[in-house]
Amino acid sequence: MENYLVAMAVFAALYGMMALGLNVIWGMAGMINLGLVGFMAVGAYTSALVTVRHATWPMWAGVLAATAVSSLAGAAVARITARLKGDYLAIVTLGFSEVVRLVASNEIRFTNGTDGISAIPGPFRGQVAPATFNLIYLGLAAAALLLVFLLCQRLRHSPYGRVLRAIRDDDQVAAVAGKPVLRFKTEAFAIGAAITGFAGALYAHYNAYIAPEGFVPLITIYIVLALTAGGTGTNTGAVVGAALVVAFMEGTRFVVAAIPGLAAVQVAAVREFLIAALLILVLRYRPRGLFPEHHRRYPIPDERR
Amino acid sequence: MTPRLSRRTLATGLALSPLLAPAVVRAQGEPIRLGTLTPLTGAGGPYGPSMRKAMEGVIEAVNGAGGIGGRRIQLYGEDTQTNPDAAVRAARKLIDVDRVSAIMGTWASAVTTAVAPLCWESRTMLFTVSGADSITQLPHRGFIIRTQPNSTLQITKLAAFLGERGAKRIFILAAQTPFALPNKEILDREMPKYGGQVLGQVIYDREKTVFRSEVDQALRARPDFIFLNGYTPDVTILLRELFRAGWTGGKVAPAYAVNQRLLDSLPAEVTNGTVTWAPSPDVESPAFKRLQALLGTNDPDPYSCQTNDHASLAALAIAKAGASTGDAIRETVRKISQGQGQPVTDVVEGLRLIAAGREINYNGASGLCDFTETGDILTCPFRYEQAEGAKLKTLRIS
Amino acid sequence: MLSHIVEELPQLVVNGLVVGTILALPAIGFTAIYAVLRFPNFTVASHATMGAYAGFVANVWLGLPIVPSLALAFLIPALSGLLCDEVVLKPLRRSSAATGPMAAAIAAVALTIALENVIRFVFGNDLRGYDLPVYRDWRFDLGFAFLRIGPQQVENAAISLAVMTAVFLFLAFTRTGKMMRAVADNPTLASIKGINAETVARLASLIGMGLVGVGGMLLGLDTSIDPLTGFRAVLTVFAAAVVGGLGSIPGAVVGAIAVGIGEELSLLVLDASYRTAVGFVAILVVLTFRPRGILGERAY
Repeated sequence: MENYLVAMAVFAALYGMMALGLNVIWGMAGMINLGLVGFMAVGAYTSALVTVRHATWPMWAGVLAATAVSSLAGAAVARITARLKGDYLAIVTLGFSEVVRLVASNEIRFTNGTDGISAIPGPFRGQVAPATFNLIYLGLAAAALLLVFLLCQRLRHSPYGRVLRAIRDDDQVAAVAGKPVLRFKTEAFAIGAAITGFAGALYAHYNAYIAPEGFVPLITIYIVLALTAGGTGTNTGAVVGAALVVAFMEGTRFVVAAIPGLAAVQVAAVREFLIAALLILVLRYRPRGLFPEHHRRYPIPDERR
Repeated sequence: MTPRLSRRTLATGLALSPLLAPAVVRAQGEPIRLGTLTPLTGAGGPYGPSMRKAMEGVIEAVNGAGGIGGRRIQLYGEDTQTNPDAAVRAARKLIDVDRVSAIMGTWASAVTTAVAPLCWESRTMLFTVSGADSITQLPHRGFIIRTQPNSTLQITKLAAFLGERGAKRIFILAAQTPFALPNKEILDREMPKYGGQVLGQVIYDREKTVFRSEVDQALRARPDFIFLNGYTPDVTILLRELFRAGWTGGKVAPAYAVNQRLLDSLPAEVTNGTVTWAPSPDVESPAFKRLQALLGTNDPDPYSCQTNDHASLAALAIAKAGASTGDAIRETVRKISQGQGQPVTDVVEGLRLIAAGREINYNGASGLCDFTETGDILTCPFRYEQAEGAKLKTLRIS
Repeated sequence: MLSHIVEELPQLVVNGLVVGTILALPAIGFTAIYAVLRFPNFTVASHATMGAYAGFVANVWLGLPIVPSLALAFLIPALSGLLCDEVVLKPLRRSSAATGPMAAAIAAVALTIALENVIRFVFGNDLRGYDLPVYRDWRFDLGFAFLRIGPQQVENAAISLAVMTAVFLFLAFTRTGKMMRAVADNPTLASIKGINAETVARLASLIGMGLVGVGGMLLGLDTSIDPLTGFRAVLTVFAAAVVGGLGSIPGAVVGAIAVGIGEELSLLVLDASYRTAVGFVAILVVLTFRPRGILGERAY
């Protein structure tokens, strides 16, 4: 049982990281990304490919490569659509994640296709008991989460972060103020994508197995839910939201399994439905999340003074 | 006057009593945990439930006869959904939460390949019915036992069968699986012995529902025989598409793909003439006859026969080892499955003999169950059938 | 190499025309909703699937012939689309928060997943087929190439053309149709002229999703259906709409045929499984060089 709770904590940390990445893109820069799972997949596959399938790089090198490749992918996607309306970015990011899955499924020699990549290395895996490995990895994931969190906090409170938020609120005003909007948007998107890819690589090394099947749009929904439930725009909200989402997800597993007379496929369908419905409810009734960002209101100085 | 126990004595006695109880009595509470991981849904869905039922039958018989060394067997069952991703999650649950010593019944080769590292790393025994050669070539250190003949044997038999049916130009339409490429290589090697050749292969993603271009590619090569190396859902669509395209040549597919369910879902004219081949269970064995009764059919599928043997082998190995860990099963399974011991086909009978200190050699419903060092079986009979009027007609078993 | 292309080209073009004609319906639906509501409604994926299953229930469970089944494939997604918009999407679109429209887009993705799972709950994941006989294709020998086309494909294309004609006639000649075009072209002017934008918006959702549903059923008629039927086609539908010009209804038709033929021609160089990637590349190319698409952003 403890093993299971530790595993859930690892997933919460990974989702927390991806929610932080989304916060840079959406919360800070105001851009939409409906293809988060695509960047996660790019990160996971890059690391798996260089650490087990085509080469035997050490894990840290694989994770680094994953982060780099995801950020490039993010920059490319943003560059093409940054000047256009948000609707186009939405379509392109949705399409991106599906194309990533398509390539992963079909380039058999490259990615082993739908059979997935197995035996991805993890620190001390096979040399220690599975329970110990889980704890070691929890430590690793928590450290990574802390790193990303601190990075995002720095970003948020820096002048760079302020520019991003200005662009989010009204990019025409920001442009008039002389800020190279396109460059900022591309960078922000790339940073968010890099973080998501980083988390994806950590996921691959934890699970030891990845397959195209595993990277479905529902995961994008989990991440968005984590960010919106916690509070769009705040980094703390992202992390808290991720823990809540994982708790909810696993909670539904036990609750729904207790409903009598349901076939396995129906149980799975009910669980997915509940997650999607929860996001809709949160967006509808608690759009600022549980820890909303405080807009600082500057009072207009009294002219008479 | 009877002495009265002071409360202190009573308390001390109670505290010390666990130390006095013999180890066996203490262990009597501790069940043996085994896991079943079968395709209850997905392409393997037609077989998973009965595979599980066969194992449940064995466990019930064992528990009914008093268990092993006084311990009951507790069975935990999960669904692979014929999907490696879902299977990995299910296997994690069996290994980490239910803490089973053995996982039995994995069907699709992709599932087994994905789950295997989890098993050998956690020292859990894996019994599988998957055929891909690559599975026993993994570095499993003895933690995999496979009761199904491997691809090399299966395709060698297929080549001989196609040869005798006069196939000279074969085109393969294969679903993406770990055995797609290896199967083509083996067929490439074997067909020339019968004067035939493989013209080419198209590997398709079985998640799609349109295969028009794949079929066009196959027909352009002008074969006389098409080998549909896939699963029921995609082979259904391919057969329909071949019919529409006007194909009148030979069609061959594995028996698990062209089963009664497929025949019922297509018009007879679309499926007529399709031949199938598959490993055959040991129909003479008393174990097979017992399985017929348990599953309520004269024709138990080969996979249920194998999982019946998985459960029996696990139980007998645990009894012989006197311990129920994955390591124990790994070390003793061959001591009860082959060798000079007395041949048995019933797990309860086998347990009785082991308890009496005798050596046994288990022969199961699927065959002799004698395994090589890497976990493969040596050989087995095959069954060849042909679809006629939406029914399967047996051509021969050999 | 050239002879191999010449030999395959006619078949690919024919296949592309058939596929394009079928996909034109969901593309029109998606673009019409965008034209009137200024919002990309991503629930088209599950509504296409819904249409396919509605038709399946009508045809296989209720034993109805094709035409009434198609009517059901229109009606059920139409009503569902309207309901989804009223209850979930409209309040989010209207919200004053800066992230309002984006929240609506994400909610649409969540909604499509939710609906897909409702379908999965009822019907399971197994492939289903309609109750139709299987016919051999018609074959034509052109001399330099062979052509085969299935009677079912021809029927599907004919149905699609009939529905498209009905839509165009509706938009061009009926009062309601003209109101819709007015609102799509210029909402402010339309409201000054007394046209109720709310009603028109509702109508757009209704008709748009209905078309998506019919398209879904036509997709399924040729092959098989499962809960992912609509989702698999969605990237191609987006591509058709974007290539033709997001918000332009004739553009959706042009885009669908262009993307349909483009995807088939790509088989000359790419693996068959990469078909939807071609749609995605088409989107990227159009957005880079001519973002407003072939027919621009005019609604009609």
